[in-house]
Amino acid sequence: MTISPLVSLRERLPQLKLTTDATDLEHYGRDWTRRWTPAPLAIALPADIAEVQTIVRWANETGVAIVPSGGRTGLSGGAVAANGELVVSLERMNRVLGFDAADRTLTVQPGIALEAVHNAAREHGLIYPVDFGARGSCQIGGNIATNAGGIRVIRYGNTRNWIASLKVVTGAGELLELNRSLVKNATGYDLRHLFIGSEGTLGLVVEATLALTEAPPASQVLLFAVPHMQALMQVFGACRSRLQLSAFEFFTDRALHHVRAHGAQAPFEQVSPYYVVTEFDAADEAAQAEALAVFEHCLEQGWVSDGVLSQSEAQARSLWRLREGITESLAPHKPYKNDISVRIGVVPAFLQEMQELLTREYPQFDVVWFGHIGDGNLHINIVKPAEIDYAAFIAECERVTELMCEVLRRHGGSISAEHGIGLVKKAYLASARSVEEIALMRGIRAVLDPRGVMNPGKLF
Amino acid sequence: MKILVGYKRVVDYNVRIQVKPDGSGVVTEGVKLSANPFDEIALEEALRLREKGIATDVVVATIGPADCQAHLRNGLAMGANRAIHVVTSEAIQPLTAARTLLKLIEKEQPDLVILGKQAIDDDCNQTGQMLAALWNRPQATFASKVEISGSTAKVTREVDAGLETIEIDLPAVITTDLRLNEPRFTKLPDIMKAKSKPLESIPLESLGVESGDSLKTTAYAAPPKRSKGVMVKDVAELVALLKTKGLV
Repeated sequence: MTISPLVSLRERLPQLKLTTDATDLEHYGRDWTRRWTPAPLAIALPADIAEVQTIVRWANETGVAIVPSGGRTGLSGGAVAANGELVVSLERMNRVLGFDAADRTLTVQPGIALEAVHNAAREHGLIYPVDFGARGSCQIGGNIATNAGGIRVIRYGNTRNWIASLKVVTGAGELLELNRSLVKNATGYDLRHLFIGSEGTLGLVVEATLALTEAPPASQVLLFAVPHMQALMQVFGACRSRLQLSAFEFFTDRALHHVRAHGAQAPFEQVSPYYVVTEFDAADEAAQAEALAVFEHCLEQGWVSDGVLSQSEAQARSLWRLREGITESLAPHKPYKNDISVRIGVVPAFLQEMQELLTREYPQFDVVWFGHIGDGNLHINIVKPAEIDYAAFIAECERVTELMCEVLRRHGGSISAEHGIGLVKKAYLASARSVEEIALMRGIRAVLDPRGVMNPGKLF
Repeated sequence: MKILVGYKRVVDYNVRIQVKPDGSGVVTEGVKLSANPFDEIALEEALRLREKGIATDVVVATIGPADCQAHLRNGLAMGANRAIHVVTSEAIQPLTAARTLLKLIEKEQPDLVILGKQAIDDDCNQTGQMLAALWNRPQATFASKVEISGSTAKVTREVDAGLETIEIDLPAVITTDLRLNEPRFTKLPDIMKAKSKPLESIPLESLGVESGDSLKTTAYAAPPKRSKGVMVKDVAELVALLKTKGLV
């Protein structure tokens, strides 16, 4: 019998918090996907950068693979450890390290929850604008590793836009400080951006400096009932031309059905096939008058059949819950998830084709659509019918995903808009990236992580 | 049946209250102002009674500065038939509010007055009770269920010991608790219709209300910040620390 490699890790880092408890292995060994059985070697919970660096060097010597672990709210299996890996959870490194008023930046450790970042920014009268439903659990390190998007991308862009500086430990165990919060820095390749969206395959983020911005004026939330899919982008155009939008989301009646089954209040007496929820700056009554004018126009055009407007923050939150509660309300049904994107210009044609494809291919399945339609991102969730076996269900969904890839390819779209590739979308990477691009990505990986210890088996 | 609903404007429930640097009040400029949540529940209850065919006329009333008109329009958009705006630039206290509402009762002759149990800005919880006394009519406060039959109302009240059900003669004052109902969302077509609904403005001084404001606020201050916790290594250190702080 061979000696467990953990012995040498404990020798090097006697203080390191390390656990092999069965419950911990299961808890830290998976994300929000439920397809793989967690089977990590152990869980390490380092307390500082030096410990992280020692762990990575040890992994290079022993050949044990590392799975970086944040809030594990991912939906692509990027944080799954099913092959005897060492899970490195950054959750103990969860502090705010500093705020710079002149730079308007907040320096944080990677294990801090997104919501804690929001709160810390607000303490200083500013905001960190990246936001999405998992804010309470997801961590900034994971946000960076997946270039997380969310509900305010149409206004503020993805996580990538808000990373002023990164400290990373590469797969080779080197500590790098990337960009040092410089706004302008024309000195060659911006390596910071390689790590953003790298899904833990190049190294571990051990510190991040986030750019902050001023809070927008007071906002209001509109919910529209939309009678047909083609009207969605018309409504978007009408809203965007007259209101300062910070979000524009849609969902179907099936999505509302699941959220209501989860306890949300119905917004309208009449059922509508589609709904739009949009948030806009409403500093004064003029903005509300504009919103009414938009509604009147959309009503005349037959693009909307009804609408409600939030009258208080509490109502704004209730309306948001109709959209943000979808993922959680579907979770018990273990849905098959598609997270796809096309450029905004081709959304109408793409929607049409997708609707036809899904009606044709999934006649018997509950297909739940929602997403950030204002930035071309659609979430399509397929709910498993009770009478079908899980493996058969996944096989059927994968067959349809192949067809979806074809449509995406024709429209120049992407098979993963914001969830990442992880394990779930690995087979479809080639539908969105060329052979040459994937070869280059592998080459970059080989430079930064020559022994291939960082999250192997994910991405490609 | 005519119902009069008190509908106060307050700093939104979800806004973090900030005290002005000079301690003269709380910051309201640039801050989201909304209907007092309990008053929203009061209006919702009145609208439901109208939808059940029990009430015919729902009147919302507020006492506040000139820019409260937009706030009353929200009440009209939610579904009230008419609005009355008693205009004053001064913040008033519960007794003055009750005396003012009594004037509106004399003018409107409602069969039922529904108010929030309290407003979330001053949390006084007095106006409803004072109004019932001044009007010399029954009161049912902290209502979580209201059933009207003929000229009586059966009201379930949330009290310390649980629930209490009482029957009162109308006209009466009912104040609402949180669980009475869940207010509806405001529909955009109704916001448009609300623009042409009647909204009457009455200057407070024209009502001849004797001021009951006897409290003078000397200063506002934010609650003291919670001091930071400390981490201890073991029980011995914890005990030692508690001892030095004189806590055990």
